[in-house]
Amino acid sequence: MSVPPESTASVLPQAAPPEAVAFPPKELKKECEDILSRYPTRMAACLPVLLLAQQHYGGWISPEVEAGVASYLEVSDSHIRGLLTFYAMYNTKPAGRHEVWVCRTLTCWLRGAEKLRQTALDTAGVATCGTESDDGKFLIKNMECLGLCEVAPAVFIDGQPHVNVTPEKLTELMEACD
Amino acid sequence: MAAKKSASKKSASKKSSPKRGDDGRYPETKILSALFDVKDGWKLAVAKKHGAYKNLEKALKSMSPAEVIDEVKTSRVRGRGGAGFPTGVKWSFVPTETDKPKYLVLNADESEPGTFKDRWLMELDPHLVLEGCLLCAYATGVSTIYIYVRGEYPLSQERLWGAIHEARKAGLLGDKIMGTDFSCEAYVHTGAGAYICGEETGMLESLEGKRGHPRIKPPFPAVEGAFGCPTVINNVETLAHVPSIIEHGGQWFADMGIAPDPDNPRALGSSGTKLMGLSGDIKTPGCWEFEFGITVRELIEQYGGGALEGRTIKAVIPGGLSMPVLTADELDVPMGFDALVKVGSGLGTGTAIVMDDACDMVEACENIAHFFADESCGQCTPCREGCHWMEKIFTRIKAGDGTPADLDLLERLFINIEGRTICALADAAVWPLRSILRKFRHEFLAKMPGHTDPHEKDPHAEDPKASSEPAAVGAN
Repeated sequence: MSVPPESTASVLPQAAPPEAVAFPPKELKKECEDILSRYPTRMAACLPVLLLAQQHYGGWISPEVEAGVASYLEVSDSHIRGLLTFYAMYNTKPAGRHEVWVCRTLTCWLRGAEKLRQTALDTAGVATCGTESDDGKFLIKNMECLGLCEVAPAVFIDGQPHVNVTPEKLTELMEACD
Repeated sequence: MAAKKSASKKSASKKSSPKRGDDGRYPETKILSALFDVKDGWKLAVAKKHGAYKNLEKALKSMSPAEVIDEVKTSRVRGRGGAGFPTGVKWSFVPTETDKPKYLVLNADESEPGTFKDRWLMELDPHLVLEGCLLCAYATGVSTIYIYVRGEYPLSQERLWGAIHEARKAGLLGDKIMGTDFSCEAYVHTGAGAYICGEETGMLESLEGKRGHPRIKPPFPAVEGAFGCPTVINNVETLAHVPSIIEHGGQWFADMGIAPDPDNPRALGSSGTKLMGLSGDIKTPGCWEFEFGITVRELIEQYGGGALEGRTIKAVIPGGLSMPVLTADELDVPMGFDALVKVGSGLGTGTAIVMDDACDMVEACENIAHFFADESCGQCTPCREGCHWMEKIFTRIKAGDGTPADLDLLERLFINIEGRTICALADAAVWPLRSILRKFRHEFLAKMPGHTDPHEKDPHAEDPKASSEPAAVGAN
């Protein structure tokens, strides 16, 4: 690859690249190796390894973790960033201690999902989905179909499904989170 | 032979009407769902008591791979994921002479809205799913199975991993299965939340660790799929049918359901049974297994308990979200691949979403358009831009700022989105929206006070070519 001419290089952003975390941490080492053994390429391990990493690092993938995973799986940082922004389950911003997904797609919408979303936002004290609450407790996400249509409306709290949810029940569930 | 064939077709079509009981109730047929009511049916010990893996043993010890494919071809089983492609034919595309490893990717990324049948199968009978996978792997010479389960199904993943570990311990998976020369590994691969990864080539990209951008075909996955190697991709429910096809023979399966139409080469029939589901505005949503033949109305009234108290049903999308809607007058049509195409809709995933008179169709369109705009992978301009554009128009109409010109604009958008992209997501966005717009046009006009409809008669109503048939996708 040729070096960009000097005139171009001078206008490129000069921000220092994030300092990569040492990945995998020892708690995840065995599981990561197990995942890698399932596929013929290292890149194929990206999705499951990122899910593990997200769980381990407090519910979101920071630029430092992103760089760590990228170097571990021998892909570019931008490849990982591409995945994080493409798939709905990854967070690239702090995600609160509890993540609440409210389904918004047709069946749940017919059964009252809009009220649930409003209840979730009010209980968490945030204005919009996708932003961590000020006390760092909740992140509300507006999700597309969660596949729980026969028991709609549905929400997930910290990865666990709750079905036939009413606004009262949702408030109760969220208040039970610490 | 030909005479015999048509005779059996006749008897099959004759059979379909008197199947209902004296009370007119269409009976359930529990084949896939046999273990759904059995306590701990997901554990190997219980599943084995009910015959799990005996059909795998039968195939491994007494049938050649080609014979397994032949039985599946004879059964005329069609893909249950939405496209309805004949499964046996798909398997026969996989090259037998190749140095490359071959893969089976089980499509368990059930992200179609309104669809939950595969979740029931994976949670309640994971060993049936695994046995189906192994039979497919044996038939097509596959040595590695990836089960691509969506990230939103934690229990399905847990049960499938459990089944894999139990099967490996029992010698039903791994090296030299049941003491034969057949070896095969299976892994669960977890998705991370993307509708498009249910599209087969988008799923392959995602399996390889990339963004789920569907690929241009050809090459077809059977020749060049996962990691550049020949790959079979099937839906969970499709492969769950295979053990019983091996047990009773392909003809047994083909004799159930709706026979092909001898006068229409595209009407390949709807053989066997199907898990059919209901969700939305009905009393008892759920999932049941029927031999094909039950009508949409029977499904809703006899199993879904009918409309909610004091309401009436307005519209039904018969298969997931991605099919054209049926109005309340159009429900006396069988839930079958060809029958629904004939009335301008499609079976899709076979799980219907019901909307009642409390549902505002303009708002429903906004909701649907938002889904597709959100889930478009962004590769093809017509879909990436078009879905957002459609959503904006519906939002405008909902707010009372629309004019009849917006409806014409939508019609032009439909034409420029449908069929102009790499995968079928764009078509799937257009079909429900266009059908709602045409069948409930008055609801859109009602939100435009002071305007009259410039087309008192729908300009497209008499032009059959204007609405393309959903079946075109199934042909791949």
